[in-house]
Amino acid sequence: MEKLRVLGEFFFSQIQGKPIYDHQARKVGNLRDLAIRWEGDTPRVTGIKYARDIQKHIPLEQVARINPNHIDLLHELNEATLVPLQPDEIYMGKWLMDKQIIDLKGSKVVRVNDIRLFWLQGRDQKHLVLNAVDIGWRGLARRLGVEFLFRRLENHLVWWEFIQHPEDKTASLRLRGEKQQLDQLHPADLAEIIEDLDYKKRADFIEDLDVEVAAEAFVEMELDTQIEILEHMGSQQASDLLEEMPPDEAADLLAELPEEKSVELLNLMEPEEAQEVRELMDYEEGTAGSLMTPEYIALSPEITAAEAIRQLRTLAAEAETIYYLYIIKEEETLIGVISLRELLMANPEAQLRDFMQTRLIFVQPQDDEKEVAEAVNKYNLLAIPVVDDESRMLGIITVDDVLEMLVPDRGSLETFASLFVRKRTMR
Amino acid sequence: MKNPIFRRLFLFLAIMGPGIITSNVDNDAGGITTYSMAGAALGYKILWVFIPMIVALVVIQEMCTRMGAVTGKGLADLIRERFGVRITFYAMVGLLLGNLGNIMSEFAGVAASMELFGVSKYVSLPLAALFTWWLVLRWSYKVVERVFLAACLIYFCYIISGYLAHPQWGEVARGLVVPSFSFDSSYLVILVGVIGTTIAPWMQFYIQASVVEKGITVKDYTYTKYDVIVGSIMVNLVAVFIVISCAATLHTHGIQVESAKEAALALAPLAGTWASTLFAIGLLNASLFSASILPLSTAYFICEAFGIEAGIDKSWGEAPAFYWLYTILIIIGAGFILIPKISLIQVMFWSQVVNGVMLPFVLIFMLLLINNRDLMGEYVNRWGYNLVSWTTVVIMTVLTLLMVVTSLF
Repeated sequence: MEKLRVLGEFFFSQIQGKPIYDHQARKVGNLRDLAIRWEGDTPRVTGIKYARDIQKHIPLEQVARINPNHIDLLHELNEATLVPLQPDEIYMGKWLMDKQIIDLKGSKVVRVNDIRLFWLQGRDQKHLVLNAVDIGWRGLARRLGVEFLFRRLENHLVWWEFIQHPEDKTASLRLRGEKQQLDQLHPADLAEIIEDLDYKKRADFIEDLDVEVAAEAFVEMELDTQIEILEHMGSQQASDLLEEMPPDEAADLLAELPEEKSVELLNLMEPEEAQEVRELMDYEEGTAGSLMTPEYIALSPEITAAEAIRQLRTLAAEAETIYYLYIIKEEETLIGVISLRELLMANPEAQLRDFMQTRLIFVQPQDDEKEVAEAVNKYNLLAIPVVDDESRMLGIITVDDVLEMLVPDRGSLETFASLFVRKRTMR
Repeated sequence: MKNPIFRRLFLFLAIMGPGIITSNVDNDAGGITTYSMAGAALGYKILWVFIPMIVALVVIQEMCTRMGAVTGKGLADLIRERFGVRITFYAMVGLLLGNLGNIMSEFAGVAASMELFGVSKYVSLPLAALFTWWLVLRWSYKVVERVFLAACLIYFCYIISGYLAHPQWGEVARGLVVPSFSFDSSYLVILVGVIGTTIAPWMQFYIQASVVEKGITVKDYTYTKYDVIVGSIMVNLVAVFIVISCAATLHTHGIQVESAKEAALALAPLAGTWASTLFAIGLLNASLFSASILPLSTAYFICEAFGIEAGIDKSWGEAPAFYWLYTILIIIGAGFILIPKISLIQVMFWSQVVNGVMLPFVLIFMLLLINNRDLMGEYVNRWGYNLVSWTTVVIMTVLTLLMVVTSLF
C-alpha cells in the first residue's frame, strides 16, 4: 500500500476559475474544470481544463502546487503533452457539481453543493482525489460567494465512499451502503420496498440487484406492478429476469404485455426457457393450464430409493416443489407419485415402483381453476399434476398458485392499510 | 379496448391534465381583468391577437412537456444541473417574489368575486385558503388533477356569459381574422398587457413538474402534445369570450372598467343578471384555481432547485419542505389581502416587473436545454421548430419588456 501524505484540502468552488502559472510565473490560463476518472471507490483528477476553447487538458503530473488561490505547473506549458478527455473520464464541474443525490429508496435528498478535494503526495507522484461531497448550506453559501455569513455553520459532508457510481453522466448520484443488506432481505419484503418506489426508480432499482434476487422479489409483486416495471426496463434485462422466474409466472406476465413486446422478450430469452413459456402461454386464462409450471421432479420407476434421493439432490434446485416426486414411464406417462416423506422412510434398496402411489389425483389443462382449488383442498395436496387425455404429464400446480387465486385482494387491502398508517403519522 | 380509436381516446383521457390545467390557470384573476379591460376599451378589434397566441402557448409548453417526458426532471432541476447554483439561486429568488405577488392577486380575486355575492373577505379568504391547502395536502396527485380539470370546465361560464351579451357575430368573426394595429399609446399598452399575461415564468415550471410527477414518458408523449394543444385552444377561446362579453356591452356603451369586479357589475344592467353572475362565478373559479396552482408551482421549483423531495404524491413526512413552502405561501398570500385597507397596486406592479424580467431568462434557458443533446438525445428541437420557437421567444421577450417599461413610466 502506497503511503500518502496530505498536502492540502480545498473545495472545488475555491479553486474553480483560479489562475494557473508555469514555472516562470507566467499565467497560462484559469482552472475551468477538472477531468476525473472514477475507478473503485474514489474518483481521481487526471487533468485540468485551462481554457474555454481548448478541449485538451494539462495532465495532473505537470502540476507542482495547488493552493486555493493559484495553481503552479512544474515547467512550461507544452501543447504536445496535453491530453484530450478519455472515454472513461468526465468533467467534474460539468457533470458532478449540482447533481441530484438520492437515497437508497430513490427519494431526493439534496444536491451536490460543492466537492472537497485532497491534494496528496504519494511515493513518486502526487494525486488529487475527490474526498467528500458538501451537501450543506455552508457549501451553498460558498458557491454564492457569501460563505463569511455562514462561518458558524459546520460543513455537511458525505464521504465519497458512500456514493455509488452512476450508470451514465446524466443520472442522479445514489447513496450506497445497504446494497449488500438488500440481497439478504426476504423476497416479499424486497418486493414491498420496490412497490413503494415510483415507476421510474423501480426499474433502475431492480437492474441494480442480483438477477436471481430480483426475480424472487419480482414474483412477489402484483401483476400490474410487474408489467409496469418490465415496460420500463431494457429488453435484455427484462428477458434475463424472465428466465429466472418460474415459467408459469413468466407466461402470465408475458400474456399481459402487448404482443410485440412479448415476442421481442421471448426471442431474447434462452431458447429452452422461451419454449416452455410459449407452451404455457397457449392455455387460456383461468384454466389449470395457465396455472401450471413444467418444473416438477420426474423419476423413473426402475430406480431404487437411494438412487432417487441422489437424483433429487441435483434436481431440487430447478423444481418448484420437491415434496412430490412423479413417477413417469416412457413418453412422459404418469404412472405414480411418491411423497418426500415416503421416499425417506422407504428401504433404500426398494424400487420406486414397489411403493409408489398408483391412485392418482390429477387435473387436465382445460379444467377450470376452481376445480383445481377444490381438488387441492379435498385431498390436502401441496401440488397437483396436470395431465392430458393420454395421461401424459404436462406440469404441476402448486398450492401457492392456488392460494393466490383464492385470495386475490391481498394487494389492495395492504394498500389501504399503509395509506391509513401514513395519514395517521402525518398528523 | 380492441378498437384503436377508443383505445387512443382512452389513453388521451388518462394522460391529459398538465397541458390543459397549466393553460387554464393563465386565465387567472389578472388575466380576466386584462381581457375585460381590453374588451371594454377596444372592442372586437383586439380579438385577432388570440390566434397567434395559441401558437405561442403551444410552442412553449410543448417544449417543457417534452423535456419533462424525456429527462424525467423538472425545469428547475435541469437549470441547476446545467447552469450552476449561482444563476439558479438568483432566478429562484426572483421567481419566488414574482409568484408571491401573483398569489396575493389571486386571493384578491377570490375576495372580489365573493364580495359580488355579498360575502365579506374576512369570511371568504380563510375558507378559500383552507380549501386550497386541504385539497392538495389530503389527496393524491390523481385526485387533485381531476379536481383541477373539473375547475377548467367551469371556465365555460364565460362562453355562456359572452353569448348572453348578444354580440354581433359578424363583427366578432372579422375581429378574429383581420389584424388591426395602431400606434396609439393606450392601444399599445392594452395589446402588450394582453400578450404579456399569456406566458408567465411559473407556467413552464409547473407544466414540466406535473408531467414528471404524472410519470409521463416519451412513449406516451404524443398524447401530452394533444393535451397542450387542447389546453391552449381552450384558454384562448375563453379569453376571446371574455373580450366578447365586454366588447358587446361595455364597449358599445362606452363604459371603461378597471377591474374584473367592475366588469361583472357593469354587465348586469346591459346583459342581464345571469351574464353578470356567470362572469362572477368564472372569476371566483379562476382565482381559487390559480390560488392553489401558483403556490404549488413555486413549491415545486424551489424544492427542485435545492434537490429536496417534492410532489403531491409524497406524504408530509417524505417531503416536508415542499408542504411547508406550499402552506407558508398560502398563508402569506391570503393573509396579506386580509390586512384592512391594503392596496394591491404596488404589489401587483412589482410582481409584474419581476416576472417580466425573469421571463426572457427562463425562455432562453429552456431553449438552450432543449437543444442539448446530452440531455435530450434525439428529442432536441428540429431546426424548423427552433426557428418558430426562437421567434416566439424573441417576440414574447420584447413585448414583456415593453409591458415592464410601460408600467414603469
